[in-house]
Amino acid sequence: MTIFDWQSELNRDGHRVVISGQPIAMHCHHYNINLQKTLEETLGAEGVQLLYRSVEETNYNGLQHLFNQYKKIRTLKSKLEMAALLYQNCGMGILHFKKVRPNSAYIVSTSNHHVTGWLAKHGRRNTPGCHFTRGWIAGTLEVIYERPLGFYIVEERRCKMQGDDTCVFHVKER
Amino acid sequence: MAIDGTKIIHAVMEGSKIRESKGIIPLFGVYLSLCATQYYNKLSFDFEEKMGKKRESEARTLLIGAAQECGYATFQGIRDSWEWKQVVAPMIENKEDQILGFAAVAVAFGWGDLEVEELIPGEKLIIRVSDSYEARGYLEQHGLAKSEKCYMLRGVAGAFMDLIYGGDYPEGLYVFSASETLCRAKGDAYCEFIARKSSHRSDA
Ligand SMILES: [Zn+2]
Ligand SMILES: [Zn+2]
Repeated sequence: MTIFDWQSELNRDGHRVVISGQPIAMHCHHYNINLQKTLEETLGAEGVQLLYRSVEETNYNGLQHLFNQYKKIRTLKSKLEMAALLYQNCGMGILHFKKVRPNSAYIVSTSNHHVTGWLAKHGRRNTPGCHFTRGWIAGTLEVIYERPLGFYIVEERRCKMQGDDTCVFHVKER
Repeated sequence: MAIDGTKIIHAVMEGSKIRESKGIIPLFGVYLSLCATQYYNKLSFDFEEKMGKKRESEARTLLIGAAQECGYATFQGIRDSWEWKQVVAPMIENKEDQILGFAAVAVAFGWGDLEVEELIPGEKLIIRVSDSYEARGYLEQHGLAKSEKCYMLRGVAGAFMDLIYGGDYPEGLYVFSASETLCRAKGDAYCEFIARKSSHRSDA
């Protein structure tokens, strides 16, 4: 089922690039990974949290905007499908929402931009590193279940950046 | 000018619609992502704020450095790429045209309406941007700024000069550095970046 025509959502508005009317910027893995590394090295856990919250809030706003535009997308299944489609089409990677309930969820990412970028620039690391995707998932579920920002905690229990086969995320209420 | 920006924009827009099965966008020799400008702005300005007054200038240096290093690696990848050779290289007549090509790619990426105002080969580059997403984001989130806010573009302006006049890659990083002399975030009509030879290299 094609729930929305991706190609027609990505457009130019003068010199700006927009997805469904919202301004976006194209950046490459060098910048995204540099930002993550800068935050992690300079502020430690606080820096990680800052990155997580920035994605969480941005994705919350972005998806809310999309769901408001596509009123026909009402079921949990179709909303998750749309979220995964957005993630994929923004070059962020692949997300499989395996088990999603209002108070817990389990999500697997078989590939993603930050894993590919991190491994290309720095090789393996000793800790899970998909903070971007954690925040992205939190914002997604908070919109879908109409919860406030910060309602969920997303943990990454396995990560390809540290040599696991997939990245595995567990979600629970804070 | 020999550089046709619309051709470059077209190539980027078409290229960025190519999706491989892993959800990764390989384009111009890098992995591309499409992300709301709100994300980058929140990240940068919250980072600056979190670092506090004492570490303010360190925060700026880090953000500018992250962008300059990225711009240096990215645009090196870009000018080495198959897409550049197909689309941009035929329009380039001299070294200086390369900077125009780089600026056109930056416009295509949604970074703002970059215009090369002046270029003195090997010495100085002036870029003007009347709608940088950083300045716009700052104004929307925080109101009028006390100082210039476009750290990403500032790093990138330095990187452009590093790539053309900094010597062989990868030795040329930080040979140049840019200042932002005017910024829309603090009420100027546009943002202006001036890249010149660094007085000292920050990696030296
Ligand atoms: Zn991971
Ligand atoms: Zn500015």
